[in-house]
Amino acid sequence: MDLRFSKEDEDFRSEFQAWLAINLPQEMRAPEFWRGKSDDEQFQIRRDWEAGKAEAGYCGIQWPTEYGGRGGTPTMKAIYDEELAKANAPRSVNPLGLAFLGPTVMAIGTDEQKRDIIKPLLHTETIWCQGFSEPGAGSDLAALQMKADQRGDDYILNGQKIWTTNAMHGDKIFTLARTSPSEGSRHAGISMLLVDMHQPGVEARPLKQITGESEFGEVFFTDALCPTAEVLGGEGNGWQTAMLLLSFERGSSAIGQYTEFRHQWDLVANLAQQLERDGQKAAKDPVLRQKLAASLVDLECLKYHSWHILTQTSQGKDLGAEASMTKMMWSETFRKVSDTYEAVLGTAFQVPDPQPGLSLEELTTMALWSRSCTIWGGSQQVQRSIVAERVLGLPR
Amino acid sequence: MKFQLTDEQRALQDAVRSYLRDKFGPQQIREVYDNPDTDGVPASLWKALGEQGWLAVLVPEAHDGMGLGLLDAAVIARTLGAGTVPSPWLGTILVGEAVRLAGSDEQKKAVLPRLAAGETKGAAALLPTGSLTGVPATTTNGTLTGNLGLVEYAGVADTLVVAAQDGLYLVDPADATITPHASLDRTVRLATVVLDGAPGERLENSSPGVLEEVLDRAAILAANDLVGVARKALSDTVEYDKTRVQFGKPVGSFQAIKHHLADLHLGITMAEHAATYAAHAFDVDAADKHLAASIAKTKAGDVASEATGAMIQYHGGIGYTWEHDSHFYLKRAKRLEYQYGDASQHRERIARLMLDSA
Ligand SMILES: Cc1cc2nc3c(=O)[nH]c(=O)nc-3n(C[C@H](O)[C@H](O)[C@H](O)COP(=O)(O)OP(=O)(O)OC[C@H]3O[C@@H](n4cnc5c(N)ncnc54)[C@H](O)[C@@H]3O)c2cc1C
Repeated sequence: MDLRFSKEDEDFRSEFQAWLAINLPQEMRAPEFWRGKSDDEQFQIRRDWEAGKAEAGYCGIQWPTEYGGRGGTPTMKAIYDEELAKANAPRSVNPLGLAFLGPTVMAIGTDEQKRDIIKPLLHTETIWCQGFSEPGAGSDLAALQMKADQRGDDYILNGQKIWTTNAMHGDKIFTLARTSPSEGSRHAGISMLLVDMHQPGVEARPLKQITGESEFGEVFFTDALCPTAEVLGGEGNGWQTAMLLLSFERGSSAIGQYTEFRHQWDLVANLAQQLERDGQKAAKDPVLRQKLAASLVDLECLKYHSWHILTQTSQGKDLGAEASMTKMMWSETFRKVSDTYEAVLGTAFQVPDPQPGLSLEELTTMALWSRSCTIWGGSQQVQRSIVAERVLGLPR
Repeated sequence: MKFQLTDEQRALQDAVRSYLRDKFGPQQIREVYDNPDTDGVPASLWKALGEQGWLAVLVPEAHDGMGLGLLDAAVIARTLGAGTVPSPWLGTILVGEAVRLAGSDEQKKAVLPRLAAGETKGAAALLPTGSLTGVPATTTNGTLTGNLGLVEYAGVADTLVVAAQDGLYLVDPADATITPHASLDRTVRLATVVLDGAPGERLENSSPGVLEEVLDRAAILAANDLVGVARKALSDTVEYDKTRVQFGKPVGSFQAIKHHLADLHLGITMAEHAATYAAHAFDVDAADKHLAASIAKTKAGDVASEATGAMIQYHGGIGYTWEHDSHFYLKRAKRLEYQYGDASQHRERIARLMLDSA
């Protein structure tokens, strides 16, 4: 048991902190900065900032240097995530490309794909969407219907994707389509295609979320074109490619999530010390005290768990289905912190500004957003089945 | 960054496990269970605990102990919990910790070597019944008075450690009125202890800080016992539900059961992390050690209660029988869940630490 980081890791931390101190302006760290700016404006600011960060070498922390990455360790990646969260840095504009597509291309992409995809991805020159879900295929991804018929050197795509994050900002989309009839198995005949979204046959429409924002949308394909060279992992291997792609999230330590949610808890505790409840501060209310403590208990457990994950990945272990536990834990803890926030506010949860000088727009948005995290990336129910069957070995 | 047990700690865990597997399994536990009038300390077990050094872990080498840390003791506690092992192990460790932390050199020399060797047994009365604050005894002119309530293994102890308003005291059980009392969890023996002007030896370096430290250490060891109980309850239930067939399928294939078991697995894993970290936090004197102790006790109490309840529920009728081991786990969890502060009391302490200091 030794919870200290190595000298190299701490050096990396100091260096990155110093870079952030200069290159992440104070005003950008404050919630007010983002208020009143349109979705497009916000996205562009984040995109530019992330490009500058990449230019300075703070990108692809764990990716090999030959691909423009930093060639770092899992610990460096965790430190990087932690420092970004501590600094309240803008969220990445390319989360799906970075988490999923990049590692998959490095693993099984052709030389051309490696050359054309990775650098522009790291430098936010190309924004990648993930086109998996369809109206009839959510948790049951293999029910997907989108068709891709080969004609000469192209596939002709027809179908619809839904809940596509960054649909309105995407340049390209990695998507699953049926390139041949599924003989017997629903997993057969699927291919992963890399499709240009800037073409007449692709139309993205925003969907308004419960927060009022439109981070996701629908993508319609009507005789859209995709060159046959733009298959990732080979024609007909889409299911295997998708499973490989999804496996790359496994290494995530969740230290970034912990840091972010812990910051929220601190804000909520602070609110409890300001707001009145039954003639005293909310922080004196015995039931709210129990709730605040209970969410802190889970938060700190999430931190310990991230140390555990980091220990495992640093030793080169593949977490396998255990990774589902990390997702379950962080998303549930996030829900719990948000529940606590709602309970501390009580009736004040209904208004963005319960007291003069107190604006809670961002916290309320986060509380609502926490409800999505137990749905996307494998819903809580699906994760439970995975843990039960593949970790505990219970029968299907 | 290494959040994991060392090879030595894993070897210690294996040693305790294999001793229990070979020498002190369910049959031996059942004998203790079914004969509540015995002292609940099988001689062979106690001898082994002493010989193997499992009572000496925290005693400094200078006093014939092993000089290891709280995490090493936690490893033992967890394994004893998984085996629902009886014995005044915890009480003996806690008397040792009180003397190690608050005793003078002479007091350490007089008490620690014999505890470490298993020559003497200890029992601890550190809190008023059901409380996480206050002390159970008061002192006047060097004598102690108070109803200490139910104390584990007071009936076999050679030394009692008692918390009073001005410090920790060693009391000779011969100077107390000790009355055996039935216990729901029969992997322990209980007795009520009443002091009425009993002579006591004050541990010379006692302070409120030391008492808090001993209580935290007690809570952490109880938390480790509880996660051992919870983990074993879950794994036995998983094994049973893999093979018990109803409606033509193993009952473990039903989502209502498997999803709950998955949640429990997650919860127990977190409780294991918390119980491990809390012990480590004391070994390195981390800034958040008191918080960590309360987090561990809260999480461990909650999951052990739920997992042992689930064990009975997901075994069906057989789980409700005396012949099945389920009730060993349930009753042990229920005992330790409320000891050294239950989950609500520790959450309130967390709130004090985090919300009231500002
Ligand atoms: C904010 C957000 C962003 C997203 N971004 C993307 C994206 O970029 N790209 C993309 O492809 N998709 C994206 N998704 C879609 C996401 O992956 C799906 O919503 C998810 O897989 C669930 O599918 P569904 O919505 O069809 O719900 P359904 O699968 O219809 O589920 C409905 C309910 O049934 C439960 N359920 C389903 N199957 C089972 C089962 N076998 N056992 C028990 N319960 C079950 C679910 O847990 C859920 O509670 C996003 C979703 C959200 C909310």
